[in-house]
This record gives sequence, C-alpha cells and structure tokens, in this order.
Amino acid sequence: MIGKQKLIASFKKALVYSKADDTEIVFIGSESGLTRYANSAIHQNVHENNCKIFVRTAVGKKVGVASTNSLNAQALRKTIDNSLEIAKNQPDNPLYIGLAKPAKYKSLKTFDARTAKFSPRDRAKVVKKIISVADKKNFTLAGAFATSCGEIAIVNSNGIKAYQPTTSASINMIAMSDTSSGYAAGLSRRVNDIDFEMLANRAVDKCKMSLNPISIEPGTYEIILEPAAAAALLEWMNYIGMGSKSFQQKTSFLSGKIGKKVTSEMISIYDNSLDEKSVGFPFDFEGVPKKKVNIIQKGIARGVVYDRMAAAKDKKQSTGHALTPNESNEGALALNLVISSGKAKRDKMIENVKKGILITRFHYINGFIDTSNAVMTGMTRDGTFLIEKGKIKAGIKNLRFTDAMLKAFATTVAISRESELVESWWDAVGCIKAPTIHLKKFKFTGKTEF
Amino acid sequence: MKDKLKECIKWLKSKGVDYADCRYVHRETENIRTANGNVEMLSRDLDVGVGIRVLAGGAWGFAATAVLTSADLKKTANKALQIAKASAMTQREKVILADETPHVDYYKSPCKKDPFEIPAHEKLNLLIGLTNDLKKVKKIHRAEASMDFFKTNKIFISTEGAEIEQDIIESGGGFEALAFGGKEAHRRSYPNSFRGDYACRGYEFIEAMDLASHTERIANEAVQLLSAKPCPDTHSDIIICGSQMALQVHESCGHPIELDRVLGTEISLAGGSFLTIEKLNKLKYGSDIVNITADATIKGAFGSFGYDDEGVKAQRTPIIKNGKFVGYLTSRETAPIIKKKSNGTMRASGWNRIPLIRMININLEPGKWELDDLIADTKKGIFFGPNKSWSIDDKRLNFQFGGECAWEIKNGKLGQMYKNPVYTGITPEFWNSCDAICNKNHWHVWGVPNCGKGEPMQTMHVAHGTSPARFRNIKVGVSK
Repeated sequence: MIGKQKLIASFKKALVYSKADDTEIVFIGSESGLTRYANSAIHQNVHENNCKIFVRTAVGKKVGVASTNSLNAQALRKTIDNSLEIAKNQPDNPLYIGLAKPAKYKSLKTFDARTAKFSPRDRAKVVKKIISVADKKNFTLAGAFATSCGEIAIVNSNGIKAYQPTTSASINMIAMSDTSSGYAAGLSRRVNDIDFEMLANRAVDKCKMSLNPISIEPGTYEIILEPAAAAALLEWMNYIGMGSKSFQQKTSFLSGKIGKKVTSEMISIYDNSLDEKSVGFPFDFEGVPKKKVNIIQKGIARGVVYDRMAAAKDKKQSTGHALTPNESNEGALALNLVISSGKAKRDKMIENVKKGILITRFHYINGFIDTSNAVMTGMTRDGTFLIEKGKIKAGIKNLRFTDAMLKAFATTVAISRESELVESWWDAVGCIKAPTIHLKKFKFTGKTEF
Repeated sequence: MKDKLKECIKWLKSKGVDYADCRYVHRETENIRTANGNVEMLSRDLDVGVGIRVLAGGAWGFAATAVLTSADLKKTANKALQIAKASAMTQREKVILADETPHVDYYKSPCKKDPFEIPAHEKLNLLIGLTNDLKKVKKIHRAEASMDFFKTNKIFISTEGAEIEQDIIESGGGFEALAFGGKEAHRRSYPNSFRGDYACRGYEFIEAMDLASHTERIANEAVQLLSAKPCPDTHSDIIICGSQMALQVHESCGHPIELDRVLGTEISLAGGSFLTIEKLNKLKYGSDIVNITADATIKGAFGSFGYDDEGVKAQRTPIIKNGKFVGYLTSRETAPIIKKKSNGTMRASGWNRIPLIRMININLEPGKWELDDLIADTKKGIFFGPNKSWSIDDKRLNFQFGGECAWEIKNGKLGQMYKNPVYTGITPEFWNSCDAICNKNHWHVWGVPNCGKGEPMQTMHVAHGTSPARFRNIKVGVSK
C-alpha cells in the first residue's frame, strides 16, 4: 500500500509535467495472494505486487491513452509523453466531451487491516482446515482462496483527486466423489466475515446428496436457482444488455423496451456500489460519483448504466459506471448488480415445487446466441438435483439449458429473503448480490454423461 | 537484467531449494479500436516484471514483482520460498520434475515489419477506411475495425543452468459490420469473429489479410441476416467453416488434453476432462480420418515460440492419430505421470502469473477434399459460418456452438441463409461422425487471442490449423 498522500502528490506533479489540454491519471495497485488446492492439497500458491497506471490525454478532441506498471517518476513522465504523442497523431474524436469535474463521494469503508495482512501461511491454515472437513466424508476438495489489498486513485487536470483503499477475500470450493460434486463459495471485503467451515460443510453436503446421480431427459422444468446460478445468468445479461454500448448499438435486450414490462413484476434489478457490505467503491474510473441505477424495476425496464461520453450521446447524465481508460470504448458496465430479495424462505420454495430442478451453479454460459432476446446457453454443475413433491429426490446428471432470459424471468414464482454476494468477473471492484429464485419454466435442451 | 536474475537464482540455490526459475517479461501492447469512421481507442501499454517460481520441500511457491531492484528481487525470491513452505502444509505427494536439458539459447519470431514502427496514421487510415466502406451499405448501423500488436522480450534463468531469451512479435486485426433492421441486430465479421485473425508475425500479416477487399460482401451478408429464416430445429449433415472448426478443436480437443486439467488441478474454475489417463492409446476419439497434432514449431503461428516458460523446447506431438487418442499436453511436473518428458506447453500470460499447461497450435491435419467438391457431395445439409457463441460442459463432452450465419445446402449447392444457427453434440460421438476434411488448400492456422484458464485468470494466445470439415447427422437449431 502506497497511501493517499504519496500517490496524489506524485500524480499532481505528473499533471504539471503534462503538456496536454486535458490529462487524467488512473491508478490501480494491488498486493494479492491466491492459494489454489485440488485433490485435497495445495498445488499453486502465488503472490503478486503490481499496479497499472493509465494516462489519458487530450489535445482538443484528439485523445490518446498509454499505460505502464512502473510507478517511478521517469516511467510516469514517459507514459504521459507516449499518451500525448498518440493523441496528437490521430483525428478528432467528435464524441470526446472533456474530463470529469470534481465531485463529492460517499464515504465507504472498503479496507480491512486483517484482510490486508492475511499471509500465505494464514491461507494455507484455512485450506488445511476445510480439507479436513471433506476428509471426514472421504471426499476430496478443490478450490481457490484469494486475499488482496489495493488502492484506486484518480486525478485529472480539472482537479479531481479521488482515492479509495480496498481489500477483498474470496474462496470457492468443490467437494468431489467419484460420481458427484458439490460447490460453495464466499466473498467479502473482510476475511473474518467468511465462515469457511460452514461453506466446506455446504460443499460436502451437496456432494453427498448428489452421489450416484440419475439421468433425466431435457425439457421445460420448474427450477430453483441458487444465488451462484442466478448471479451467473445476471452477469451475462449485464454484459450483453445493461451497459451503454450494447444499448446504443441496439443489440441489448433492453433496447427499445425502456418503460415496458420485460419480466415478472417480482423481478427488480439495480446496480449499487454504495453498500459497504458489498464489494464496490464510490466513484468510477473517470472520477464520477457512482449512483444507484434501476435497470429493471418490478418487471419494467428502466434504463442502463452510463459513462460520460455515452450519456452525452443519449442526452443523459453519467451514472458513474465508466471503465478504465483503455476500455472506455466498451462503454459503461454495471459492476455491482443486485437482484432484489423477496419474502420467501428457501426451504418453502423447494416445498412448492411439484417436479423441478434445483441448480447450484452454471458452467460456461454464453449469451451471444441472440442478444436481442437474451437467449443464453450453459451447463449445470456441482450440485444439480431433482425435486419431486416438494422434496429433493436425487442428484441428477448435468443438463444444458438454452432459453431466452426475459421469457424465463417472466415466470418468476418466488424469491428468497436471503441473498449472497457472488464473485463476478470484476474481482476486487465488483460483485453480484443474488437471492434464490424459483422460475416456473426453464428450457433444458441437452444432457451430459456425468 | 540477466545478471540480476542470476543473482536471485544463486541466492535461492544457497537456500537449498529443489528447483527455482526466474522469468523476466517486458511487453509492449498496442490496441486500436475504430467505429463508424472514428477512432474510439488507441492505447499503448508497457508491462514489465519478474516472476519467481520456487520448488522447496517438494511444494511450489510463486511470487512476482514489478519493482526490479536487486533488493526487491531478493525479497520476492524469499516470498516465493516462504510460500512454498506454506504450500507444504497440505502436501500429500512431493512434486517431482521430469528431466530436461538446461538450454542456453536465443529465439526470435519471424517479423518483416515491426508493427510498432508503422506510423499510427497508416494503421488508422486503414481501419477508418474499412468502417467507412462497411457503412456505405444501407442498414449497417455500426461498423468496427481493430488491430492489436504485442512485442515481448522474455528472459528465463533456472537453477539447472537454463538461460533462454526470446523476442516475440504478434499482430492481429479484423472488422465487423452490425446491421439493424428496426427490431433485430445481426453481426458479420472478417476474417474471424471477435477481432479477426492473429499471428506471430509483423505488420506484413495485417497487409496480407487484404481486409479492404472483403468489406462489401461482409456488410451485405449482415444485412441479409435481417431477413433470413431461423436455422431449423433438426438433425442434419453439417459442413463447418475453417474458423469455426478452430474453435471446435479448441474446446473439444485442446482443453481436454491439458494434463493438469485431467489430473484435477483446474477443477475449481474450468473443470476437468473426460480424457482420463486410462483412455490414452485406447479411446477411439474420432473417425479414422481425424488427425490432431500439437505443434509449437509452425513458423509465424500464434501458438508458436522457441521455448515454453519452463525452458522446454517447442515441439510437435501427435494427439489424435487416425482417430485414436494418443497424447496429452504436458509439463515437467505432469509428464512423469504418463512416463514421458514434457512436450513443452507450460506458459504464463505474463511475468505476474505462474506457468500452466496451455494450448499451443492444436491442429486438425488437412484431409483430401476440395471445399466445392465437399458441398457438391452433400445432398442436404447446413454450412456453418464463423463463430458467434460457444459453451461446453466442465468435462468437455456436451458442447453447443452458434454461428454468425449458416447456409442451407440443397442438392450439393449453397442455398438460403439462416440466422442464429446452433449445433450441439457430445465430443467423441461428434468427432466419430466426421467423414470429410478439406485439403491443405483450405487449411489455415487461426490465431485465438483470448483463451482463458487459471486462477488468477490467464488469457493466452493460441492457434488452430484447420480446414472445413463435414459431420453427419448432427443436432442443429436449438436456439429458442
């Protein structure tokens, strides 16, 4: 950790050095460790101390981006020169609207000293403990346990000086037998908030419950999506349809549907990075304060997230969802999506299923088949169960689904009161909060051999 | 830098480690994105650091740093050593490495025109021109064109005496047209979906693609998709184009032959493999005409190099021979399990990542058919265009691929276009239904820049030499 004062002071000097009309510096630094285990032993244990500094400069409407992972003053000046040279040597970007102006950010506690100090030995001790849980049932355990601390800083020539320290801890685990597997995972800014033993028992229980799975035929079934499964669907829906780029290029399933009913009224989806219990931070990578954004509210499409450039194009305000400068051409993306919880209890939800399937998680979802209709495919994995007459009857061999997601979420029957934080593609800067969801109809189109 | 790395290795030797290597990586990257006549992004990145891998007490530790003073390197080496000791806390079996000659060598990838020396305006003019040409076709709502370049210098030093330096230049690019007809949007791309084609070559690779001569056809095909019928739900004979065959090989052969994955060490993210060890030299993976080879020695291919990140020389290994499964991708740690030496596939995506078994160039060897003859020989079927979607189960058995477009084959001729085509199958059944593969005239090594594996995630550059091939009685059209 370098610290706010040192970072901001160094970048302020760099701004003075820059000869561009506009200069923006985005710093993302981290010290991270990851312990990976399989066959009930650690096989990979890594530590990384790294940073990335992005410099975006503009000369008039000519914009250049350069980046480096070296923090020394000489490298920073060279990166500024490089960025400026790129800017000068290209045509005007008519969409460029200058840099963000200073703003106030919500104060969020996103750093935990215990997590920052968690050592490889500490992680190994946790792994040893959870392996012993699986050992007792004669199952093997595989997974990954990561802890990290980091800093995000953004300064620009308009006077923005944003800084946020962060920590995160995440673990996933798969208990395995010869015929079955069971999954559990945990995520928090604070390593002590994760109940590792409870998660290990959950993974082991799922593995035990799905021993010797039976095969069922594909078709349309009622399903119970556990949080990891619901979050995986939402992650892809976000990627193909909840950001400004897909919305503006009209490939989003929300394009042309704002104000219209798109799912059951039980479904509300919003982005909120201002929840301290989640894994967010209070500004985006342009230094714009993050706002809570309703995407789907009681089944009605409400909008998508924006960065400044995309917002200007649609005559809107940025919602504070810009990505890093090198990815700004991808438009804005929601990094802290939440599916609103409901009132149901998980056990009651299962009791209400006559014949259906409980899904722990999905594998290898792909949402590019038909993005206008949010058609996706993917496989179930690590704990798929047949429910009959309100009870889990047996583990089943994994199934492939192919279905249109808005159509599927239009059949929502119930949503659980409890939600879980689920790790997303965005590591320490985002996550998804999802409940358990009961859908009346979900189409499975194939099956596999295990 | 070499001297600093050697110092580090000397210090680790003095600590009595079983084995250690230090890997310095200096990588420059340039990404250019244009759309609708504008530059949306031109960015350059410099990424430099050292990764240190230590085997101590039979367990692995790895630490990496971007701060390259001798003191920081020693601190990082010590961190890797301490991590190895922590790893040993759960050890069940000690890691033993296959023997390997410690090479002292230099390798440089072929490059006629350094892409970083080509003026920015030359690249931008080409890309902006492509998007302007695409936009000339009515109903093209968005036209994108892009290029990516990578210049990497790597130095590898090990406690066994290996000392290898490599300079590798990579180039890639392509374009896509998005048509919008009021309700639906459809995309066509060239020469391949998801940013085109890539190779370990210089700017001459971009020039050789002759991108400008393909814009009109691709834009018109995107517009045609707006009025195309959906792909029918049926079982059909299918012919798959070369670039989609590359992804078919990637997902259903390339990943399941990674021996680390077979042994369970990728379970937590990417999953396992159906190609378990008892199937080696026994399983009939495909029909007799199916021959798949792992080959990192193809000059200029995107999965080629001089040495892998364990210092093992690039080589060619048979994987599927006349339909039979005969080989894995291996590392020094995994190869002894099948009583072999490493075939040189351990690679890391950067200095800050530990090497894993990764695909190199995994190739479906060419068959005997001309493409026109193959289509003429197919009475009723579907011809699948480039990839649009992909998914496969965590043991690599049940897969489903979607194409940007497909064409009906009727009485040996291509007919109407289909939108949102999808085909699905089970890997060995599918490859055993392969009855024709096009010849070397249609064979091309497709660069894939986004192969994901590992935790933390590592995105690797790999490639697949393929030509169009025919498969009998395949389930198609389950997209809705």
